[in-house]
Amino acid sequence: MATKIINKTVTELSLRITRCFFVPSKTIQTNATLFQERLETSITNVEEQLPTTIRPPLPIIHSRKLAFPPKFKAPRQVWVSNMDTVEEEKLGLIDLHPEVFAERPRVDIIHENVRWQQLYRHVSYANTKMRYEVRGGGKKPRQQKGSGRSRHGSIRSPIWRGGGIVHGPRSPTPYFYMLGFNTRLNGLRSTLSAKLAQDDLHIVDSLDIPTDDPSYLEKLVEERGWGPAVLFVDDNDIMPLNITAASDSHGHYNLMPVYGLNVYSMLKHHTLVLTLAAVERLEERLLFHLNRNDAASAGQKYRLDSV
Amino acid sequence: MASVAARSFVFRQQMNTRRFDFASCLNIKSFYSSYSANPKEKSPENYTQYHEVSSDNWKFVERLKPPTVVPSFPKNGSCFSDWTPPPDTPPNLPYFVKRTKNFMVPVYLNFEAVRNQRKITMVKHIEGDIWALEKAIKSHLEEVTKRQVVSQVHEVAMYIKFRGDYVLHVKKWLLNAGF
Repeated sequence: MATKIINKTVTELSLRITRCFFVPSKTIQTNATLFQERLETSITNVEEQLPTTIRPPLPIIHSRKLAFPPKFKAPRQVWVSNMDTVEEEKLGLIDLHPEVFAERPRVDIIHENVRWQQLYRHVSYANTKMRYEVRGGGKKPRQQKGSGRSRHGSIRSPIWRGGGIVHGPRSPTPYFYMLGFNTRLNGLRSTLSAKLAQDDLHIVDSLDIPTDDPSYLEKLVEERGWGPAVLFVDDNDIMPLNITAASDSHGHYNLMPVYGLNVYSMLKHHTLVLTLAAVERLEERLLFHLNRNDAASAGQKYRLDSV
Repeated sequence: MASVAARSFVFRQQMNTRRFDFASCLNIKSFYSSYSANPKEKSPENYTQYHEVSSDNWKFVERLKPPTVVPSFPKNGSCFSDWTPPPDTPPNLPYFVKRTKNFMVPVYLNFEAVRNQRKITMVKHIEGDIWALEKAIKSHLEEVTKRQVVSQVHEVAMYIKFRGDYVLHVKKWLLNAGF
C-alpha cells in the first residue's frame, strides 16, 4: 500500500507507535532462497552439537492462511522457532493478521483492562461501627431540659467522641464490575500488538522439550534473550509433561491455555511465547468477534444491568 | 414419610410373607433413558404415523437463519440504495478511513444531552495523519455551509467530531475521496 505517513503535532508516544505500525510497503521481503541462505550455516552447527535432532529440510512451516484477509494492511511476518534445542532454530515464517497483531495499541484501554482485572475480585473487609452497633448508647444521657447543657439522645451518636461512624466502610464491600466486551477484546488486541512491536512475542511450533530438567528452560531463555519472565501459551490446557515439570520450580515461567490469555498476565510477563495452535485459535476467536453481526442478541443474556 | 413407609412395610410383612419390595412400599419414581425404554410405551404402530423428509430440505431452514459473520458484498450488479462498494485500491493520501465490518462509511450522528440538544458528526476508523484529514474535511464543510465549523481531533481513539449535523456532507466527501 502506497501511503505516506506524516505526523506533525502528535505526542511522543503515538510517534513511537506510528513508527512501529505504519510500516512502509517494502519491509520484510522474504523468499525461499533468502531463507535457505540464512539457514545453511545454522543447520550444520546444530548437527555437530546434537546429532540426535533430525529434522526434515527447512522451512517446515511455509505459510498460513488468514481468515478475513486484510485488504490494505500488510500482514506481519514472524519467525517460527523450535523448543527442541537450546539454540534457536527457525522452522519457518508465518503471517499474522494485522487486525489482531498490528492494531494501534490503546494505552487507555490496556489500563482499563488491568484495573478491571485487579478490581473485579477485590473485596474490602474494612469495617466501622454505626451508632446502633457501638456498645452502649441506648439511654438518654440527661434530661432534655433543665441542665443548661446541650440536648442529646445517645452517647454513641456520630457527633460524640467514641460514637458511631456515619458513612464509613462497611465490610464486606465488593468492587465487582464487568468491563464491556469490546473493551476487553480491544485490550487483548492492543496488548498483543504492543508485544509484537516490542519484540516480546515469539511463536514456537509446540511446547515439547527434550528433558524435564528446569535448567534446560533457564538456558533456553537465557540463550534466546527472552525476558526474565516468560508466558507460554498453548491451545490445549493439558501441557506436555516435560515443560510442566521444568517450569514447575520456576515461578517466572508460566504455562497458560489460550482461553486464559489476559492483559494483566501479558504485561506481567516480559515475553509471550505462543504456539502455532494458540495463534490459530486466538486469531479465529478474535476475528470472529470483530466480524460478527449477532453480538447484540448473543450477548443479551450476559448483560448485568438489563433484564 | 419414612415412618409411614415403615408402617406400611411392617403391615405388609404381617399380612403376607412376601419378599421385601422396597420400591412397591415407597413408590420410587423411575426415569427412563428414552420413551421406548419405558415399559408403558407400545410399539410405534399404535401412534401417529410420520414420514421422514429428505435432509436436503434443511437448506430452507438454514437460509432463514441470519448469518453470524458478515457476508461479503456482491461484486457486480448495481445497488438501488446510495451504497457504493469500497474500492479495491486505496487512494494516495496520507490518511485512510476504513469501512466498518458491514462495509459502511464510518460517519455517525451523535446527540449530546445539552440544553438545546447538540448534534455531533463523528468520523471513526481513521488511520494515518488525522490532522490532515481533519483539515481537509473542515475546509470542505466550511466551503459548503459557508459558516465556521468546530471540530475535535482525538488522537488516541482516532476519531474526529464536528459540531453540527454534517453526516451527509462528510459521507459524500469520503466517498468522493475514494474511501
